[in-house]
Amino acid sequence: MLLSFERLGWWKWVLVAITGLVTAFLLLPILFIAALSFGSSQWLIFPPPSWTLKWYREFFADPRWLESAWTSLQIAALVTLFSVGIGLCASFALVRGKFRGRETLKAFFLTPMILPVVVLAVALYAFFLRLGLNGTVTGFVLAHLVVALPFSVLAITNALEGFDKSIEDAAVLCGASPLEAKFRVTLPAIGHGLFSAAIFSFLTSWDEVVLAIFMASPTLQTLPVRIWTTLRQDLTPVIASASTLLVLLTILLMLLVALVRKGFKS
Amino acid sequence: MTAPYLHIRGIRKDYGSVTAVENVDLEIRRGEFMTFLGPSGSGKSTTLYILAGFQDPTAGDILLEGKSLLQTPSHLRQIGMVFQRYTLFPHLTVAENIGFPLKVRRKGRAEIDAKVRDMLRLVRLEGFEDRKPADMSGGQQQRVALARALAYDPPVLLMDEPLSALDKKLREEIQVEIRRIHQETEVTILYVTHDQEEALRLSDRIAVFSKGVIDQVGTGPELYANPATRFVAEFIGDSDFLTCSVLSSDGRTADVRLGSDFVVPGVPVHGGGGGRSAGALLLRPERISLHRHQPAEAGTLPVTVGGLTFLGSNVHVAATTGWGEPVAVRLPFGHGAIEGLSRGDTVWLGFDPRATHVFC
Repeated sequence: MLLSFERLGWWKWVLVAITGLVTAFLLLPILFIAALSFGSSQWLIFPPPSWTLKWYREFFADPRWLESAWTSLQIAALVTLFSVGIGLCASFALVRGKFRGRETLKAFFLTPMILPVVVLAVALYAFFLRLGLNGTVTGFVLAHLVVALPFSVLAITNALEGFDKSIEDAAVLCGASPLEAKFRVTLPAIGHGLFSAAIFSFLTSWDEVVLAIFMASPTLQTLPVRIWTTLRQDLTPVIASASTLLVLLTILLMLLVALVRKGFKS
Repeated sequence: MTAPYLHIRGIRKDYGSVTAVENVDLEIRRGEFMTFLGPSGSGKSTTLYILAGFQDPTAGDILLEGKSLLQTPSHLRQIGMVFQRYTLFPHLTVAENIGFPLKVRRKGRAEIDAKVRDMLRLVRLEGFEDRKPADMSGGQQQRVALARALAYDPPVLLMDEPLSALDKKLREEIQVEIRRIHQETEVTILYVTHDQEEALRLSDRIAVFSKGVIDQVGTGPELYANPATRFVAEFIGDSDFLTCSVLSSDGRTADVRLGSDFVVPGVPVHGGGGGRSAGALLLRPERISLHRHQPAEAGTLPVTVGGLTFLGSNVHVAATTGWGEPVAVRLPFGHGAIEGLSRGDTVWLGFDPRATHVFC
């Protein structure tokens, strides 16, 4: 190999140092928040004078926090369901379809990824105001669906492009109807793509804050919105606990992704 | 003759203004091994895909035991197929793959298990039940695909260049297997290939496709001994073509002239009208005799040796006629006529005019 890690000599240690620094840069803020959430100081002093679970008790004792967490979960679950379903249908059209403007349409599906979210948020806010959807779960789900769908379309079209249509044809000649062939053969074969689409859709909605702030009402708030509003009113370590829990679920999901990917490979 | 088992009648397929196949007419007997042979783009795969129901013909019909298949969707045609690419279901084991056609037919567990065992024995892959396709070689995968295609006893099995992704040795091994399986199951097979050797090795009859039409249908020896067109002659076996002019023709045989004065009488003629015209004389390199000295009898063609190539059991002699056309002769290794033969020598070629053909 042209660039062998073992033969780099002392450059090896420069690479190790850079990798370490980047990792620290990415991870330290999260570790910092996690540490603060267990600290006893009311004023988020670092390093914490002593350790406590008090802020977690307060989080779980406050119905508003729990309600926000529940709202977030509900919305993320609905977004996941619709994002994967619509993404799957769209991907079949984009990969298998033969029509003019297919490439353009595919690019169009990905535009929410590059569009500034705040622009999208303002536009949706104005639009939903007319429909009376602001402050409703439907509004939340629709708004998050816009930003989650590109991930689904990307993951599923990739999986479908890598799947040989002859395999589905073989299933049809084996006696399965075209629909049955898709359910029994094609979908299981692109399962890794569907799984990625589901996880990314869930996470997109789960920690999304800009659209959520626009969609929220005093009675309907997701966890990130609750963190944001609380942060503006008073600085309590409960925010740190809430953030830590938010990150914890994300990490668990990413671990699940890693495990399932390994399962798909073997 | 009674009605054919499978009748492909006047099939034509257009893609826009391009005609992929036309006038494809074939009658196939029950249990026959019929091969569609031709270069890529000759329409052989298109015909097979029409049989499978993946494409609809622009015109024509397909009759199985007298009943049209065209209105029946693919999954109800009860036709088995092995594809060019590996098409095993990646998330299922070998046993589940083979059992798939029975499972979609809602067969019972015991029946499926028994059939899977039978099929694994048929393709000689006992003990592979729980393997996943990704853990098998290409040859094994195609054998499983064959087992899956035969699992529900289809009346007709389609095979679309199933061995083209395998190396030569493995290909020959599986050809023997396919031949054996055909004899054991007595299934009617339609086999597509561009490999003449494969076609000759496997088939009862071969349909030679060229540019969307069938040039000729016949057994291997028939096609080789009596090619109907120059294309068939070129595609099956090795061939030498010498330009000639037709001196006279009665539509069946003709007298032709090579060069300025070498006349070959009574050559079977294909195509063209009567009278004088240009043509191509077909010689088979292994049916030409080579003489070091001019023989007493007339009718041998003097040529100049260009070189010898050793090809194992055969030796290939490249030569040039007096008017500069190349002609190849093939002789068995150790043949007396090639001992000490070297470049630049003049030799005389003898052949039986009745075993040659002229195409005009």
